[in-house]
Amino acid sequence: MIEFDHVSRTYGLKTAVADLSLAIPRGELFALLGPNGAGKTTSIKMLVGLLHPSRGSIRICGHDVVADPRAAHLHVGYVPDEPCLYDKLTGREFLWFIADMFGMPRHLARGRIDREIECFELGEFADDLAESYSLGMKQRLVFAASLLHDPDVLVLDEPMVGLDPRSVRIVKDLLEARTSEGMTVFMSTHTLAMAEEMADRVGIMVRGQLRFLGTVTELREQVALEATSLEQLYLELTSPRGMRP
Amino acid sequence: MSGPTAPREAVRLLTLDEESRLFLRLRATLVWETVRSMVVGSRLRLSLVVMLSGLFWGALYGLFVEAFSFLEALHADVISLLLNAFFSSLMVMLVFSTGILLYGGMYCSPEARLLLTLPVRAETVFAHKFREALWFASWGFVLLGSPMLVAYGVVREAAWPYYALLLPLMIAFVTIPAALGGIACLTLVAWMPRLRIHALSLAVAGCCLLAIWLGWSLVFQTRTDAMSTAWFERAFARLAITEQKLFPSWWLSSGLIEAARTQPSGRPSATGLAEAVKFLSLLLANSLVLLLLAGWLARIAYRKGYSHLAGEVPARRRRRAGLVDRLLIGSDAAVGRPLRLLLVKDLRLFRRDISQWSQFLIFFGLLGLYFFNLRSFNYHNAYASMIGFLNLAVVGLILSTFTTRFIYPMISLEGRRFWILGLLPVHRDQIVWSKFLFSFLGGVVPCAGLVFLSDSMLGLPWRLIALHEYCCLLLCLGLSGIAVGLGARMPELRESSPSKIASGFGGTLCLVLSSLFIMVVVVVAAIPTHLFLLARTLGPTVIAPDGLLAWAGGPMGMATSLATVTVAGLAATAVPLASGLQAFRRLEA
Repeated sequence: MIEFDHVSRTYGLKTAVADLSLAIPRGELFALLGPNGAGKTTSIKMLVGLLHPSRGSIRICGHDVVADPRAAHLHVGYVPDEPCLYDKLTGREFLWFIADMFGMPRHLARGRIDREIECFELGEFADDLAESYSLGMKQRLVFAASLLHDPDVLVLDEPMVGLDPRSVRIVKDLLEARTSEGMTVFMSTHTLAMAEEMADRVGIMVRGQLRFLGTVTELREQVALEATSLEQLYLELTSPRGMRP
Repeated sequence: MSGPTAPREAVRLLTLDEESRLFLRLRATLVWETVRSMVVGSRLRLSLVVMLSGLFWGALYGLFVEAFSFLEALHADVISLLLNAFFSSLMVMLVFSTGILLYGGMYCSPEARLLLTLPVRAETVFAHKFREALWFASWGFVLLGSPMLVAYGVVREAAWPYYALLLPLMIAFVTIPAALGGIACLTLVAWMPRLRIHALSLAVAGCCLLAIWLGWSLVFQTRTDAMSTAWFERAFARLAITEQKLFPSWWLSSGLIEAARTQPSGRPSATGLAEAVKFLSLLLANSLVLLLLAGWLARIAYRKGYSHLAGEVPARRRRRAGLVDRLLIGSDAAVGRPLRLLLVKDLRLFRRDISQWSQFLIFFGLLGLYFFNLRSFNYHNAYASMIGFLNLAVVGLILSTFTTRFIYPMISLEGRRFWILGLLPVHRDQIVWSKFLFSFLGGVVPCAGLVFLSDSMLGLPWRLIALHEYCCLLLCLGLSGIAVGLGARMPELRESSPSKIASGFGGTLCLVLSSLFIMVVVVVAAIPTHLFLLARTLGPTVIAPDGLLAWAGGPMGMATSLATVTVAGLAATAVPLASGLQAFRRLEA
C-alpha cells in the first residue's frame, strides 16, 4: 500500500531523511516514532505530496505521489498536526466539500456524512460555523473528513493533539476497526503508549535515519532489555549512545 | 513492486469543469457567509464602510468631473495622456500586488496546504487563489477608477455603449497584469526560490526609481513657472512614455476614448463603437492567452515550487540589543524598571515585525516626500497657513490608522500572554502605561518632524510653526490615549490576529473617535488663525472689525481656540485611559 523507495530529503546542507526504504502492507497500523527533528514530519509531508523527495520515490497503492499526485491522493485520507478548516463553512458544509472533491455520488455522500457526524459525535455543532469550534472539535471534524471516502491509506500526524479522552477512545476504536477491514494507517506520534497499544509495527527515526523497524517484541529482542516498556526502549535507542543501525 | 490499484467505486477524479464549479461554489458560500456575518455582527462597521465608500466615490466623481471639464477645455489630447499615465502605473502596481497576494495565498496559507493533499489539479487551486488575489488587488481600482471613468463619460456626453463597455474593458484589463503577476510568482518560486526576495526587491526598487525620476522631473524642472503653459507642456512630454501602443493600458484608454465618441446628434458613433470593440477584443484575447499560460505554468510548477518553499530552512538570526534597549535596560535604578522593560519588549517586537515598520516607513516616507516637494509651488500666506493645517490633519489621520491598526490590538494580544505577565511582579496599570508611552513616543518624533518639514517648506512664520507643533503634540497624546484606552476597555482575548482585532467593533470605534478628535483639533485651531491671516491680507472690507469673525480672528478668539484644543487633547488622552485602566484592573484573563 505504501512504499518508500530509497527516499532522501535535504534542506540545504541538512539531511532531514536519509535513504528511507519502507513498505507497509494493506491493513497494517504503522507508527513512526522519534525525537523532535528526527524527520517524521518530513516523511509524512513527502507521503502526502506536500514535499518532493530529493532522491527516491514514494508510491501509494502503486501511484507515485510526485508523478501522479491526484491518483495517489484519491486513496489517501490525511489528518495534519494542525487542523485546517474554512472558518466561514459549517462542519457539514466542509464535509460536503470534501465529499464533492472525491467525486462521491450525492446519495452516498449524504449517508457517509451522517455516518461520520454520528461516529465523531459532531451532531451538536455540525451546522455551526467552524470559526466557533475549539481545537478538539476541529480535530474531530478533520478526522471525519479524512475518513469520508473510506481511504485505503490514512496518514496521521500527531493525531491525538487536542482530543479529549473520550475522543481518543473513539479514534482508537475506529482505527482498530478500519485496519481490520484493510485500511493502512501511517501514524507519526510522540504518544508511546498509543504506539505500543495499537501499532503492528513501529519505526524509530533518529536524525533522519530509520534506526529500527519492526514490532515492539522485536525491538525488545534487539535492544536486549527484556521486560522493559516501550518508553525505556525508545529512550535507549534515541539516546546519543544508542545502538547504530 | 505491485501495479497501481484502482480507487474504490465510490470515489473518482473530477473533470476540470467539475473542479472549477466546485471551487466557484465554495467561493460563493464563503463570500455569502462573510457578508452575512458582517451584516449580523458588525452593522456599525459595515454601515461606516458603505457610507464612507459612498462619500469617497461621490467626492472623487465630483473632483473628476471638474478636472475633466477643465482639461477638455484645454486640449482633448491631455485626457488621453492622463488616462494612459494612470492605467500604466496601475498596471505596474497590479503586477506586484497580485504577485505578492498569490505568493501568500498559494505558498503560505493553511488552505493551500489542505488543497494540495486532495485529489485536485494544481491549476484549479491556482485559479481559485488567482480569483481571490485578483479581487483583493483590483478592488481599489474599482473604487478609484469607476468614478473617474463615469465622470469622463458624463463630461464627454458619451452614449450607452460607453457605459456598457466600461466593466468588460476594466475586467479584461486588470486580468492582464494580474496574470503576469501570477506567472512571475510561479516562475520565481519554482525555479529561483532562493532569489525570489532579491528579484522582487530589485523590481520594486527599479519601479520606485523610475517613479521618483518621473516625479522629480515633473515637479522639480522649474520652481518659478509651476502650473504655467510651459510647465504643462514639459510635464506632458515626460508622460508621453506611457503612451506605448504595445501596453494594455493604451488599449484600455483607446477603447474608452473610442467608446465615448458620439455623432453630432448625440447618438453613438458606429466607427467609435467598432474601434472600442476591437480594443476590448485585443484586451480579452491577451488576458485569455496569459491566463492559459499561467494555468499551464501552475500545472507544471505549483507543486514543485510549494515543495521548494516548504523545504526551506529558516535562517537562524541572532539579535543584539539595540542602543535604545541598552539605554532603557542599562540603568540599575529600580524606579520605573518594569515600565522600561515592557517598553523594550514592545520596541523589539516592533523592530522585528517587518509589516509594522515597513508600513510606518512607507506612509511617513511618502508624506515626507510630498512635504519636501511643497516648495515647488508658490502660495499666498493665508493659503499656506491653510495647507499647513491640512498637512497637520493628514499627519494625524495617518498616525490614527497606525494607532488603530497596531496600538489598539496590543492589549488584546498581551491578554493572550497574560499567564506570562500575570506571574511577574508587574502591576496591570504599568502594562497599560507602557503601551501609552510606546505609542506616544513612537508617534511624536516622526509626526513633529513631518509637521516641521511641511511648515518650513511652506515658509510659515515661527508662531504658526509653534502652534502646529503644539497641536501635533496634543494629537499624539490624544490618539495614543484613545487607542490604548479603548484597547484596554474592549480587549478581544480570544483573537490572535491583530488585523482582525483592529477591524472589529472596538477598532472601528477607535478609528472613528480618532478621526473626530483630529477634526476637532485641526478645525478649532485653524479657524482663528485663518481668519486672522485673511483679515490681514484682504483688509477690513471682507471681515468687519466689530463682528464675530473679527473676534474669532483676534487675540481672544485665538486664546479661546488654544484653550479648547488643549482641553480636547487632554480629555481625549485622560478619559479613555482612565476608563481603560479601570477595566483592565478588573479583567479576568
